[in-house]
Amino acid sequence: MRHSPLASVFATIPLLLLLTGHAGAHALLDHAEPRVGNTVATAPSEVTLWFTQKLESAFSTITVTNAAGQRIDSGKTRVSDTQMSISLRPGGTGTYHVTWHVLSVDTHTTDGSFTFKVGP
Amino acid sequence: MDWLGAGIDVPLIVIRAIHLAATAVMTGTLVFRAVVTDAAIHSSNPVVMIVRAQTLRVAWACLAVSVVSGLAWLLLAAASISGLPFREAMTPSLLSTVVNDTQFGLVSEIRVVMAVILAGCLAYDRVPLVRGLALAMSLGLTAAIAWTGHAGSTAGEMGIFHLTADILHLFAAATWVGGLVSLVLLLSITRRDRTDAGMSFAREATQSFSTMGLTIVVVIFATGIVNAWILVGSLHGLIGTEYGRLLMLKTALFAGMLSVAGVNRYWLTPGLASPSEDRPPVEVLRLLTRGSLIEIALASVIFAIVGMLGTLHPATHAL
Repeated sequence: MRHSPLASVFATIPLLLLLTGHAGAHALLDHAEPRVGNTVATAPSEVTLWFTQKLESAFSTITVTNAAGQRIDSGKTRVSDTQMSISLRPGGTGTYHVTWHVLSVDTHTTDGSFTFKVGP
Repeated sequence: MDWLGAGIDVPLIVIRAIHLAATAVMTGTLVFRAVVTDAAIHSSNPVVMIVRAQTLRVAWACLAVSVVSGLAWLLLAAASISGLPFREAMTPSLLSTVVNDTQFGLVSEIRVVMAVILAGCLAYDRVPLVRGLALAMSLGLTAAIAWTGHAGSTAGEMGIFHLTADILHLFAAATWVGGLVSLVLLLSITRRDRTDAGMSFAREATQSFSTMGLTIVVVIFATGIVNAWILVGSLHGLIGTEYGRLLMLKTALFAGMLSVAGVNRYWLTPGLASPSEDRPPVEVLRLLTRGSLIEIALASVIFAIVGMLGTLHPATHAL
């Protein structure tokens, strides 16, 4: 029985798919200010996140809630290259939750969250 | 769209692979025509004329596949960006935002314009200046792919370095694969033609493509190392990540292509210039055609791998 090179190609593709466990997103959080998990003395006026790749502003957002679970971000995320920031209203002391969703310019989405504390 | 339950977006991978392959073959065919066919000493040779007509048809077919798969890629990317099922994601507002407010959308718009100009150039292909513009547009369509992938999202000065390496990598790969398709056409036509003039052109073209191949291999190797250095970064990244393991498979297939190309270049091609009794020129042509088809088959698997690599975390980020 003769096999054409093209038939071999199609036979190989399912094998290649099995070799990859998952496909996923690309821009990962590099660091943040306030730093992930840190405690700061006074409530910050903004949160800034740095990522490993360039971001698309149209599909990248940050939301921040205070210890009472109230949103204290301005709702207007600013994106520049690999950096993303959002202004905050005063939110008191306690644990703040930062949730982010980004699209890197290679069209892959990533999301994640972290906390930081405000207080002594 | 998670089709296999493991986060693998099969339609996106398949469409990416088809688009890359079609664009590469289109560009490589036009490079082959400019460097090999149009430079043929006996340009009035009937075989040269037939090869020119056939390569033009291949360029048209690949342009059509490239445009359709490019549009499908845009729609699938929009659905992937939104996180919604495909049908729900196909709204005018989402598509408009993706096209107008993302780098991928902007690059897609520019590529559509280049595709339209290229179609016009192929339609008026008899004018040498227009053929040059067609080649430029095709190279532009290929180069722009670099802005849609990992190289396009690498930040800072490293991003420029990465983009440059990726564009050169795409050019070299396209020239090799598209050139192989043209070479197979040429060899098949010569086998049917069996005239001295046809054989002379086949000898000249094979030699010319082989010489070009040496440059192609050096460029692919050098730019491949740069890309791997940026996206993999370490031995651990190469062995310990899906991205690295697929890259190793891609490199092994490239080595396979190189081996077959070496047999064609150093063992079979000299047989066209000095045929022996036990291996007449027609037999050499048959073996060269078979070797080139094996190279094309290996390249097709490489395109499938590249389709997957674009959807994975680079190894430097996955560790």
